[in-house]
Amino acid sequence: MPDMPSLIGEEEFEKFREFFYRKTGIQFETTKRYFVDKRLIERIEATGSDNFRNYFTMLRFQASGEELQQLTNIMTVNETYFFREEYQFQCLVDSILPEIVARKKDDKPIRIWIIPSSSGEEPYSIAIYLLEFWAGINEWDVEIISSDIDTHILAQARRGMYSDRSVQHLPARLLQKYFTATHQGYQVCEELRDAVEFTRVNLSERADTRAYRNFDVIFCRNLLIYFDDVSRKTAAETFYDALKPGGFICLGHSESMSRFSSLYKVRKFPQAIVYQKPLEVL
Amino acid sequence: MAFVKKKTSEAVNEDERKRGRDCESLLAELESPRAIERRWAARDLTDFPQATAALVARLRREDDASVREIIFSTLTVLGDDIAVAGLVDCLKSEDASLRNEAIEAMKQLPDEVAPIMHGLLADTNPDVRIFAVNILESLRHPHVEAWLLEVIEHDTHVNVCATAVDLLVEVGSGAAQQPLLELKQRFPAEPYIQFAVDLALKRIAAG
Amino acid sequence: MTKIVKRILIVDDAATVRMYHRNILEAAGYAVEEAINGVEALEKCLQTPFDLYVVDINMPKMDGYGFLRELRGQDIAQAPAIMVSTEAESGDRQRAFFAGANAYLVKPVKPDQLLTHVRVLLGELLP
Repeated sequence: MPDMPSLIGEEEFEKFREFFYRKTGIQFETTKRYFVDKRLIERIEATGSDNFRNYFTMLRFQASGEELQQLTNIMTVNETYFFREEYQFQCLVDSILPEIVARKKDDKPIRIWIIPSSSGEEPYSIAIYLLEFWAGINEWDVEIISSDIDTHILAQARRGMYSDRSVQHLPARLLQKYFTATHQGYQVCEELRDAVEFTRVNLSERADTRAYRNFDVIFCRNLLIYFDDVSRKTAAETFYDALKPGGFICLGHSESMSRFSSLYKVRKFPQAIVYQKPLEVL
Repeated sequence: MAFVKKKTSEAVNEDERKRGRDCESLLAELESPRAIERRWAARDLTDFPQATAALVARLRREDDASVREIIFSTLTVLGDDIAVAGLVDCLKSEDASLRNEAIEAMKQLPDEVAPIMHGLLADTNPDVRIFAVNILESLRHPHVEAWLLEVIEHDTHVNVCATAVDLLVEVGSGAAQQPLLELKQRFPAEPYIQFAVDLALKRIAAG
Repeated sequence: MTKIVKRILIVDDAATVRMYHRNILEAAGYAVEEAINGVEALEKCLQTPFDLYVVDINMPKMDGYGFLRELRGQDIAQAPAIMVSTEAESGDRQRAFFAGANAYLVKPVKPDQLLTHVRVLLGELLP
């Protein structure tokens, strides 16, 4: 009988755990062993590898790095819904925006860039958060630009139609206030749809990103972790140029700038850790 | 006050850079007193392979970390002999962050770094040999294990060997067993070597 | 009397080195956490500051000096740091102290040497 691919030894698990941590920053506790093993075995089988050793060698040495992206995908739950990782929006309205406003010297709009836009839950969540929980919205203009590489998903985002599941974490009051129930689902009201500018951008294309400048805040959650090392670095550099001095960037909960760049300052606010482009740059 | 939306074209397509984007103007801009201009020049020079030498020269004088980062990225994309030689030169710098960025860049250039790896591992400066092993850490190249074995079999410096064993814990195969056992005997009084070799052997036996 | 376990952060890009230091320190009763480079270390100590740091010099993204300089500039409870380096890097000792290190050890580190420095810096042993 051939080796059963379905067994991963303790040393193999340790080896994988160290490698994955180095590459992604995600550190699995030993209690997650079952979860990790199950997904590893799934990939070992899907790639036709005989055993863990062969699979790991492929993962480590594959020139394209594709398998690592595949694996990262299944090791992380990447679901998008309204108010996902809400603590960051709290951080935005309670800490980040007050700081930005306090040092602002002009009355130009505050600019927020959300990438990836995906189907729009995140930019609309931010718009709702600003209207509901940030008094500054009465004094300041805000521009929200939301970008994605995928034009189909952008069309979907512009339409703003969502399932029950997407809106399940929204307080009923807000659902009622900003959505219309239709037979196809909940549609975001026109005011919000008009509030967000959706654009197509490939983050790895210089020509696409160079016009994106002067942002106060960037949300880039759960995207860079799926990129290879070079693309991550390019993206971190792109964001650096897209931000005003002192501008902030928010990453996903399992992501850390420590794998992407050292140019940003690490800022700890009561609600979250975010990254800041230094104020004093030329 | 509320949400505002500019016309798409205005909002995102206003490109503020004024000067020309040909190689000559970019090289001039690479010497601008403003870091932001140097950054953009370094980035746009990605399109000009003939700019490698100028980028390498700028790198050694550049004291703005954000510009350096872009120069390293551009050199990684250009990746020719001059770029690689410039990166090697950084390994010998006193500046730890310059060295580490060069190591990171070289990890991305397996085909270009492979021909010079043997030479780096034989450098008279043990620091350079350690950095060469550091490059192997993420190098996607089939010779990685062979290079590491070369190190633990012949290098006399304990920290060069120690760095190589760190990696063999991850990439070592049956071929590494004997050399690892011999290394243990070469450094019997070094607890770290004993620990790391035992760990590597345990991982190899388990796989 | 309850003894408060001191928390130590090991900052090193090499997993094997982290594990080696962890084994030594855990066996001596300390609680240990790890970071792979200076940026991650900074993120961790901003969440909860540590009682002591054991920091490698050469690391990707943010090296040991960069980390110590950033750490020393943060408005958080400060703690001693031991810089760990490979022997051949001459001049590093002085740079380490300038960056805010309290002790400097040359790799490969011997267990009793590490523990002695840790205990002295934590005030558990007179120098």
